Amino acid sequence: MNVETSVSGTTAVATVSGRVDSANAKDFDQALRAIIDQGVSGLVVDCSGLKYMSSAGLRVLLIAIRKTNAAGGGLALCRVPEHIREVLEVSGFVRLTKVFDTPEDAQASFSG
Amino acid sequence: MEVRSELHLKLDKDEPRRVAEEFEEIAMEHGVPMGVVFKFQLALDELLTNVVSYAFDESVDPVITVVLHFTDAQVTAVIEDNGRPFNPLQDAPAPDLDLSAEDRTVGGLGIHLTKAFVETLEYERKDGWNRLSLVQPLSAHPEEHA
Repeated sequence: MNVETSVSGTTAVATVSGRVDSANAKDFDQALRAIIDQGVSGLVVDCSGLKYMSSAGLRVLLIAIRKTNAAGGGLALCRVPEHIREVLEVSGFVRLTKVFDTPEDAQASFSG
Repeated sequence: MEVRSELHLKLDKDEPRRVAEEFEEIAMEHGVPMGVVFKFQLALDELLTNVVSYAFDESVDPVITVVLHFTDAQVTAVIEDNGRPFNPLQDAPAPDLDLSAEDRTVGGLGIHLTKAFVETLEYERKDGWNRLSLVQPLSAHPEEHA
């Protein structure tokens, strides 16, 4: 797994790639926490390179959703591969976070 | 074409990934559709993560085996462990998917996904062993384009 981050003011895009499972969910968690701790309230997670995510990854997303909601922003996902989208649907996460086609659309949802 | 692979796991949190990746490699060689590969390896990962995380205390020497079996019609996996009795089909709490992010817990979500993604899932406790069997047909999976 790899997370690349681009922060601009109070919003950021975290591009996650590879596999997120119980073996490395802690690293994913630390990466998102580090971004939010920089004062980011609107976090976009770009999933275009995400090959695999289990419930361990959902747990990390849930924590980040709570933290960004509490900061007055939120978490949005974009470019979610079809099989990951199904995980989000079956787990009810589509009700907890918005899913956009592009990072730009996702970021714009925080500035309106 | 028929492929059978037996894997023995250590009690280590990295082991479910090893099985999931081994499964993926054989499945891709076997021409299993990507959607089926993803769902089945997620189920294996979730069930095995439960086993290595919760099934054992220090009173037994852990034995965990997975047998993967591919035929033209289906893929099956049998997971056996000598840990404490746990039937994930009944003993895991069902998640409430209607709660807000603030009220949600992630407990039970792995099993919820597993049940949704695997066609046939059976549990048996026998002679001190937990035995889980998973069966997924390889053609026209009903949830493939749900």
